[in-house]
Amino acid sequence: MPKDSFKTRLEIAKNKFLKKKLYQDNQPTSSLGTAFKMSTELVAHVVVGTIIGFILDKTFGTKPWLILIFFFVGVIAGILNVFKSAKNMQK
Amino acid sequence: MATNPMHQFEVYRIGPEIKLGEIDISFTNASLFMVISSIAILLIFNLGTKKNLLIPSKIQLLAELSYTFVSKMISDTAGSKAKPYFAFIFSLFMFVLFCNMFGMIPYTFTVTSHIIVTFMLAAFIFIGVTIIGFMKHGVGYLKLFIPSGVPIVLLPLIVVIEIISYLSRPISLSVRLFANMMAGHTMMKVFGGFVVSLGIIGGWLPLSFSVALTGLEILVAFLQAYVFAILTCIYLNDALNLHH
Repeated sequence: MPKDSFKTRLEIAKNKFLKKKLYQDNQPTSSLGTAFKMSTELVAHVVVGTIIGFILDKTFGTKPWLILIFFFVGVIAGILNVFKSAKNMQK
Repeated sequence: MATNPMHQFEVYRIGPEIKLGEIDISFTNASLFMVISSIAILLIFNLGTKKNLLIPSKIQLLAELSYTFVSKMISDTAGSKAKPYFAFIFSLFMFVLFCNMFGMIPYTFTVTSHIIVTFMLAAFIFIGVTIIGFMKHGVGYLKLFIPSGVPIVLLPLIVVIEIISYLSRPISLSVRLFANMMAGHTMMKVFGGFVVSLGIIGGWLPLSFSVALTGLEILVAFLQAYVFAILTCIYLNDALNLHH
């Protein structure tokens, strides 16, 4: 008998716990996580754009031009990405 | 005494030198701490799942909590299709978390503060996710680079931008973890050095900073493991459910 009563109590406690979880879906950790995510992605886009420009320049022999173009494309991509993340956060 | 704040990141050989052709594969302190964290994970989950008590013991509670945490994270971000990849994401999360947390113990070595370690993890995820995407959708996976509703004139630029943001994933993933761990540990060492050099009169302020930083670093250690795992889930979601 005591085992049964424990099971019902466990069930009630579980339901209470789940209800609470619905409202506070660990917000603080995920927003700090988004901040880290956005800052590094902005840099990574620029770096990747520059690397692509550098490689293309080496293969085609158009020394300064492609690296310049791809640097700015990388900057655009990074800023667009931050815009996208910000829009997703507002949803 | 080593006052150089970068001294803690030095990798040195333990035991004999092992060479595989030209490549040095000797056992280092980094490998030692990877082995330690793997063994700790295995121990916790072996002990935690040995006896399935209705009222869980502390270790069983730890194992169950981390299981539900990761499984909830996967179902929230990547949906039910990502269930087969649970084992991979779970071990990834636990490995990064344990490496970060072992680094918080004084005189230990933080494996994740080296870019080559985090970059290997990220490159593995990136290549794996790309293969999964091509396996599930075939050539149609390339549609990921063409967002819907874009005018034809802008399409070449947008495709280049999308390719750049796809390729930047492993870099941002690895640099985030590495930079956070390295910056945090360097800062703790610098403040620790201040305590020693300012002595008993002026050392109290940096000491209190040090205590606060330790708390912050534990938060960052957990948070970075969480972010690493959740971004893997997001990338997996892109590969499994292709839509814009």
